[in-house]
Order: sequence, then C-alpha cells, then structure tokens
Amino acid sequence: MTGAAGVAGAGPSSPIAARVEVVRPAAADSRGKVRAVTAVTVGEDEAVFPGHYPGFPIFPGVCVIECVHLSGLRTPPPGSAGLELVAVESTRFLRPVFPGNRLEVELVWTGGSGAWRCAAKVATERGAAAQVRLRFTAEEA
Amino acid sequence: MIGQVEIRKVLPHRFPMLLLDRVTEVVPGQRVTAVKAVTCNEPWYQGLGPDAAAEAYAYPRVLLLESWCQSAGLLATWESPDPDVLAGQVMLFGSVSGVEYHRPVLPGDVLEHRASITRVVDDTVIIEGGSTVAGEPALTVGLAVLAFRPAGELRPGDPAPAFA
Repeated sequence: MTGAAGVAGAGPSSPIAARVEVVRPAAADSRGKVRAVTAVTVGEDEAVFPGHYPGFPIFPGVCVIECVHLSGLRTPPPGSAGLELVAVESTRFLRPVFPGNRLEVELVWTGGSGAWRCAAKVATERGAAAQVRLRFTAEEA
Repeated sequence: MIGQVEIRKVLPHRFPMLLLDRVTEVVPGQRVTAVKAVTCNEPWYQGLGPDAAAEAYAYPRVLLLESWCQSAGLLATWESPDPDVLAGQVMLFGSVSGVEYHRPVLPGDVLEHRASITRVVDDTVIIEGGSTVAGEPALTVGLAVLAFRPAGELRPGDPAPAFA
C-alpha cells in the first residue's frame, strides 16, 4: 500500500488509501436487522498525515466518516446496487484516531426502495472512536 | 484580501489538507465567506487510471465537508489564532449533523463556503452554513460543533478524552 490517496476499484476518488476488509458481509440477523462488519487499518503513510497536522498526525474526522462510507460501499444491503452517499445525517467523534490504529466498523442498514440509512459504530483498540449515520441512494437490483 | 498568509496564521492544516484558498469576508464572532478552487492536481485524483469514469472525478464528499469545516474553524479561531498544534489548543470536530450533498463538485469548480456562529458554550462553538458552486447549492451543513482541547490531552497512548 502506497501513501497515494486511493480509488477503490471503480469507486469514487477518496482521500484515504487504506483497504476495507469485509469481516462480515451485510446479512439479516435473527431479529431481521441487516448488519455488517468491516475493518480498516490506518497506515502511517496515508496522504493526509503530512498536512493534518505537521509533526502531529491525527486521522481527520472526515476520514473516519470516509472509512464508514467506503465500508458501506463494500457491504451493500442485500438487493441494492449503485449506492451513492447523499447525506451525513449525524456524526459524533469520541476519541482521536492515530496512524497505525485499526478501526473496526459495525454497520446497521435500514431502509429500502432506493433509500438506505447506515448507522455505524467505529472503534479502535482503545475503545469507541465515533458514531456515524449516513444516507445513501441506491438502484434496487 | 485575506489569502494564504493570513489563513496559515489561523489554521494548522497544511498541504495536502489545507482546503481553503481565500477568505472573502469575515465578521468575527458572526460569519465568514471563504473560497476553495478544486483542481485535478489534488492527490485524491492520483490513483485514477486512463479508464476512470467522469463520476470518479467528483471531489470526495467528505473533503467538501472538511473544506467547509475549515472555514468554520477559521471563523471560530479568527480572534485568538493558535496554529501550533504541538503546544496550544487543537481544534476538533465534536460532532456534525444534517450534512446534505446536492450535486457533484468537479475539477474547475470554485466552492464558496458560508458559515455562521449560532452559539458559543464554554470551549465549544456551534456553526451552521453551506457551500455553493456558481450560485448553485452543493452542500448544506445543519450543525457543526467545534471543540478546542489542549494538545497535551491528545498524545497517542494516553487515555483519550471524550469529545462529546
């Protein structure tokens, strides 16, 4: 993995190069909730670090949102295709993320008929890092 | 004109994460208007190959938000700038909500950000606003909470503070 900012396959341009590992693809649990789990390791050579901030690298909050965005694109809810981010409904940042941290992202999908919400909890080895709620539009497959 | 010299005295962000080019108006404690020109030479486009589709050149949506938040941060710190993150106060997002994207932003587009302070509570500032391209809405931000914390509280390995 190089420090160049990434483009995941045919996906949108992104400020982060880190690869999203799918730990568990989106699937309904026993209570019918559609859940997925991913992991993202934040490399020390991410392109954003030299400027955020010089001598004191902190993973930007918007890049934590980006990890959830990319995780959503990698684990679309069953029956959906062509997901596109249209809103960041809410986000709370609970702990800073530093180079080398491994993020675990737990996603819960709700919606359908071309509009999906993704509620995600992001944690590092040190505990909860962020809560992020995104909204996507989708083509129904 | 408020250009890079003045912006860099206020914001700690640097290449490639300084996403503001110019400030066109600032009314301290109230509102700011700032500009960012998007170019195809930003590193986010470096990985695009010869077969990349036109949509792949849409500016990363989270960076539209980052650029707007930098205008908000500049407004919040205009009167007491402290761009040394190693010693002073670090400005962080506490939370953001009600962010809506209205259209793709492409290389060559010039973003105009508007941000206004709605409340100040202790060491947090609540700001709202949005961004346009050629007068058309590109982004709205319902509410952003900017928090200021001493750099010393943030060192890796230390127990991290809660930013709520």
